[in-house]
Amino acid sequence: MKLALVGVGAVGSRMVDRILEVEADTGRAFTRGNALVCDIARTPADGFDAVPEEQRVLLGDTHERVTADGVEGDLELAADVAETDLPEFRRALDSLAIHESDGVLLVADLGSATGSGAGSVLVDELQGLYDEPLYVLGALPSDDDGGTAALNAARALRSVVPTADSTLAFDRETWPGDPERDDDPEIRALATRVATLFAAGELDSSVVAENAMDSSDLIRTLEPGGVSSIGYASTDVEPDERGLFGRLVAWFSRSTDDDEATDAAKVKSLVQRAANTRLTIPCEVSSAERALVVLSGPPSELSRRGFESARQWLEQEADTVEILAGDDPRPRSSTLEAVVIFSNVTDVPRIDALQRRALDVQAANEEQAPNGDTSETRTTASKANETRDASAETDAADSEVSDASNANDAAPLIEDAEAVADDANE
Amino acid sequence: MKLATIGVGNAGSKIVDRMLEFESRTDRNLCRHVHAINTARTDLAKPDYIPEERRVLIGDTNQKAKGHGVGGDVEIGAEVAKADLDEIRRAFDDVEIHTVDAILVVAGLGGGSGSGGGPVVIDALQEMYDEPVYALGVLPGEYEGGRPALNAARSLQSFVSKVDNFIGFDNDAWRAREQTIEEGYEQMNRELAARLVTLLAAGETDDSDVAENAMDSSDIIRTLDTGGVSSIGYAATQVEDTSEGLLDRWSSDSQRVNRDDGSQATKIKGLVRRAVNSRLTLPGEVSSADRALAVISGPPSEFSRKGIESARQWLEQEADTVEVLVGDDPREDSPRLSAAVLLSNVTEAPRIDQIQNQAVDAQQKIAEQEAVREEQINDLITDDNNDLDPVV
Repeated sequence: MKLALVGVGAVGSRMVDRILEVEADTGRAFTRGNALVCDIARTPADGFDAVPEEQRVLLGDTHERVTADGVEGDLELAADVAETDLPEFRRALDSLAIHESDGVLLVADLGSATGSGAGSVLVDELQGLYDEPLYVLGALPSDDDGGTAALNAARALRSVVPTADSTLAFDRETWPGDPERDDDPEIRALATRVATLFAAGELDSSVVAENAMDSSDLIRTLEPGGVSSIGYASTDVEPDERGLFGRLVAWFSRSTDDDEATDAAKVKSLVQRAANTRLTIPCEVSSAERALVVLSGPPSELSRRGFESARQWLEQEADTVEILAGDDPRPRSSTLEAVVIFSNVTDVPRIDALQRRALDVQAANEEQAPNGDTSETRTTASKANETRDASAETDAADSEVSDASNANDAAPLIEDAEAVADDANE
Repeated sequence: MKLATIGVGNAGSKIVDRMLEFESRTDRNLCRHVHAINTARTDLAKPDYIPEERRVLIGDTNQKAKGHGVGGDVEIGAEVAKADLDEIRRAFDDVEIHTVDAILVVAGLGGGSGSGGGPVVIDALQEMYDEPVYALGVLPGEYEGGRPALNAARSLQSFVSKVDNFIGFDNDAWRAREQTIEEGYEQMNRELAARLVTLLAAGETDDSDVAENAMDSSDIIRTLDTGGVSSIGYAATQVEDTSEGLLDRWSSDSQRVNRDDGSQATKIKGLVRRAVNSRLTLPGEVSSADRALAVISGPPSEFSRKGIESARQWLEQEADTVEVLVGDDPREDSPRLSAAVLLSNVTEAPRIDQIQNQAVDAQQKIAEQEAVREEQINDLITDDNNDLDPVV
C-alpha cells in the first residue's frame, strides 16, 4: 500500500524518520520518501536523516505564545496554532504526492500537547482534504509520562478516532522506548511493524505472492474504524537465494514429512506469537471486528499447511469471520516474519486506565481553577498556581468553545494538572 | 472442442495460465482465445502463458479498488466489473467467435474479483454470443474461513443461474500436501488444468481420420446441456514404452490379439472406473448425476472398442442414467492413456451444503458485529460519565 506519512510533533516526526529508515534498510518501497514532518517550535529541530529539509514544516514560529520550547505542554495552544497555520500546512502538503498514494498515515504522540492538540486539528483537516483513507498511528502515554499526558491522550482519542478511518495505537507502557534516540530498538521495532504491514503487496519484490495482500485488503480490514493493534513476530531462517544450486539442494533435502510438519509448526507458532505477544497496544483479541495477517519470508519457508492452520486459529481467537491472509515472498530475506492487524478492537484496558487517570487530573484541575479552589487541593496545587494562573485562565476560556454541554467539566489546565499529578504522586 | 477461456480474478487467471501450460506441454490446442480479467495489477503480472495484451485490468479508476484488488469484497468486485462493463465488452470484441464452440469462464468464488466480477462477465458474454457459456468455479476450503464461504455461497447462486453449466472445484478436497504456499497452489492448479483440458480438448482437431468412437464437441455440449453443477474425475496411466512394444512384436500374433481384446479392454474400463472413484473436482454422489461423459485420451493403439463399451455400461449403472457417452480422443505421441469423466448436474454435493451453513453463520456474525460497531467504538473512547472532551 503506497502511503504518504505525516509526522506531527517531535515524537511523531521522529517516528516517521524511523519508518523511512526501516523501509530503506529492508528494501521495501511503500512511501518512496513521500513524507512530511511538522512541529510547533521557534526553530526547526535537526537530526532527521530520512526526511529532506523541504519536507519539514514549522508551525507557529511566528505565534506570540510559542516559545523556544514550543507550546510548553499547552494542548489548547497547540490546537490553536495548528488551526491558525492551516494555510502553511496545506502549502507543505503540496510537496506530497498524495493522490498517487493509497492512503495517508498521520503519526503523533497523543500524550504530548502538540501531538494531541495539533494532531487532532490536522487529522480533521486531512480527512476533509482527501478521498484517500486517513489512518493515525498514535502513541499513548505510559504511566510515567504523567497525568497530563493521559488527559491529552484521552481527549485526543475522542477527536481522532471518530475522524480517522482507523487509529493504530501503540502503548508506550508496553513500548517504553525513547523515540528521541536514533537507535532505540523499541521504536525501530514499531517502525518494523508498520513497514511490514503496509509494504505487503507492493511490487518491490522479485517474486510475486500467491495471494498478495494488496492495499484494498488493508483498507477493507481497517474499514470499521475504531482502534487497531498490530502484532508481529519474526524468526531467523536461511535465505532462498543462493543461486539455482542452493535452491535445488533445498528442494531435495526437505521432502520428508518430518520437515513438513516442522515447517508448518514453525509458521503456525510464529503467527500465534505475533498475535499474542507485544501487540502495539495490548487488547482483548476477541473484541476485534476484522483481522489481517501477512506471512513474509523466503518462499521455501512459507508452509501452506502452517499458514492455513494459523489463519484458522486466528479466526477462532479473534472470534470473527472477516480475516484476510496473504503471503509476501522475499527470496533474499533471512527472516520469516508474521504481522497481524486486529482492526476495531473495543476491549482495550490501557485506554480505560488512561481515561481514569485523565478524569482524576481533570477533576484536580477544576478544583484548583480560579473559583474552584478547595482545601483538599490547595496545598499540593498552590505552588503551580502561583506561577501559572494567567495561562490557566486563558485555557479555561479556550475550552468553552468546545462542546457546550460539557464545558463545565472540561477546563483542562494542562500544565497545572501535571504539577498536581506529579505532586500527588510524591 | 475449441474454447474461448476467460479467467476472472486471481485464482481464475492462474488456472487459465496452467491450462495453457498443459496444452502446450501435451500439444493440444483447446483455448483458441484467452483473457485474464482482474482488479489487481499485481496479480495480472503473474501469468506465464497469457499474453500481455490479453490481460485486462478493471476498476483501476474505482476509488475503492484503484488497481489494487477489492479486498475480498464480493460487492465491490461486482460493482467494479459493472462499472467497467464497456471495457470488458470491448475486450471481448476480439473473440473470433466463429472459431470457438463454447466459452469457459474460470473464477474463484471465495474472493472478491472472481466471485463478484465473474457473474457480470458471464452476463456480458451471454448477451453478446449464442455459444454456450460454462464456468469453472473454485469453492473455498473450510479452512479458508467464514467470509470466503459467504462470498462463495452467494456467488454460486449467480453463477449457476447464469451459465449453461457450472463445473465445481473444491479446494478442500484438493488441499495439496505440498509444503510451501507457492508449491501448494501450483500443484492444485496443474491437476485441475490436466482434468479440464483432457476433457474439453476432445474432438478439438478438425482432421477427420479419427475412429468411429471419437468424441466431438457436440457430445460435450450435449452432456453439459443439463445446467446445474458438474464434477470431473480423472485417471491416467503410462503406456508401455517402445522397448516393451518391441518385445510385444517379437511375441506371437495370437498373444497380441489376446492383449487387445482382453487386457486393453480391461485397462480402459479400469481407467474409467478409477477416474470416477478418484478425487472428483467436486466430490459428489455419482448416482445423482443427470448425464455422464468419458473421454479416453492417448495413443490410438491403446484404444479398445470393447473397453469403451464395457466402460459405458459400468458408468451407466454407476451414474444411474442412460445418458452416458464414452469416446476416445486420439493423441498419437502421448506417453499416457488417460480418462476424464464428466458428471453433469450432480445434485448431491455435500461440500456445497457445508459452505451454505458456514455462510449463514458468517453472515449472522458479520451483521451482529456491524450492529454494535459504533456503540462499541464510542464506549471505548468515552469515559463512563462522558466527562472528557474531544480536542476539536
